[in-house]
Amino acid sequence: MILVNYLAAVALLCIGLYAVLTKRNMIKMVMGLSLMEAATYLFMISLAYRAGSTAPVLLSPPPGKSAGDLVHGNVADPVLQNFCLTAVVIGVAVTAVFLSVVVRIAQHYRTLDSDKVRKMRG
Amino acid sequence: MRPVSGTVGQAEPVSGTVGQAEPPRVRAEAAEQEPGHRRWAGAILAAGMAVALAAAMISIPREHAALPAVARYALAVALPRWGLTEPVNEIVYGTRGFDTFGETFLLLAAVISVVMITRSREARRGYFGESQAGQREQAQADPVVETGATERAARAAEHREQGGHAPGDPAEPDTPDATALGTPAPETADAMTVVVRTAIRIALPVLAVAGLYLVAWGYSPGGGFPGGAVLVGVLLLVYAGFGRRRISRIVRPALLESIELAGAGAIIMTELLGLLLRGSFSANWLPLAAPRTILSGGIAQLFSASELIEVGTGLAIAVFALIGMGHDWAPDERAGADDPGGER
Repeated sequence: MILVNYLAAVALLCIGLYAVLTKRNMIKMVMGLSLMEAATYLFMISLAYRAGSTAPVLLSPPPGKSAGDLVHGNVADPVLQNFCLTAVVIGVAVTAVFLSVVVRIAQHYRTLDSDKVRKMRG
Repeated sequence: MRPVSGTVGQAEPVSGTVGQAEPPRVRAEAAEQEPGHRRWAGAILAAGMAVALAAAMISIPREHAALPAVARYALAVALPRWGLTEPVNEIVYGTRGFDTFGETFLLLAAVISVVMITRSREARRGYFGESQAGQREQAQADPVVETGATERAARAAEHREQGGHAPGDPAEPDTPDATALGTPAPETADAMTVVVRTAIRIALPVLAVAGLYLVAWGYSPGGGFPGGAVLVGVLLLVYAGFGRRRISRIVRPALLESIELAGAGAIIMTELLGLLLRGSFSANWLPLAAPRTILSGGIAQLFSASELIEVGTGLAIAVFALIGMGHDWAPDERAGADDPGGER
């Protein structure tokens, strides 16, 4: 029933999207973006899952099997796990960029309300 | 009056409603007072997105699907070609090495953006305390018009945070261990309580060794990304528990940024030598050690250790630049005639 995980990821993404669309507090908008990021992590890790599979590690195979059996056997998808691994680190750095921009806006405009930040409006 | 705690960085001193002529409330952050923006349009769009994505999710491959060809390929070449028993690491540093290379420099670009955005007007040597240097100039360029009790409290708290002593504050001891038990309130103290400090002293070596073990060993070499994140956690624990003075000799922009760029240079060299010696970027040019040894995987260990440096220092720079960000107080034009947030 990995479909439940997929749908949970969709729900998480849409909660984040709703926060980004409707909140005016910029900290909450950044939180929404982080939620959307987390939804992609959940989705990628769920997509890597295979029923009854082992971890993609070619070490100490179960009794009666060799490492070669593991290569052709039932393992979770290592490529998607790799995507997730790097995405987490990039996500932290990008969130730091968002937050530093928000702090500068707050200091400059003395507000966190995105509706009041209008100096750049043409 | 509104209770003002000593912490800096709350939204209150800069939120749009403070300072305008309205009666003081005890709790202004009640949920029903939060301004929204086109809630119904947002709800409909988010619900439509949910329906569309859910419809797509129902038809994508699930847990019984065969592994994609790229995953099978990575599993097949991990042991014979790279001598790695962990295919995930083989993908990070081998099959998708070029991608990891790009992601590394995306991280570097993000860190540089944070440094550029957060830096103060003056040349800086430390993350904290640099704002003092330019305060006289700041006072000339932007004469302080103290607008109210909230802003005065926020400025005093920031002054304290940046290393100065607000008038009326007791002098802080050199190390948090010299503080008499129970004296400062947790909100204004430089360090955490003796209970937390003791716990950190016990947990810290374990965490640091676990992080380095992830990098050097794990199942096979290659754990630079998670290892770097763990080491940043170690640094943050010391900062949170013992205050910034304990880490000020290590956490300096000059030192961290040099190490960061050295890590980036090491990654470029590792990948370029593959191009020069083996004819393809990110190819393995080191002799393969036996699997399940610390040098197995050829360049994977080198790449991973460089990645540890890059991720560890990069995240540390980003986090401490953000924490140590001084208030570049813009003149509050609301005190005058025009409203900076209003329509023009």
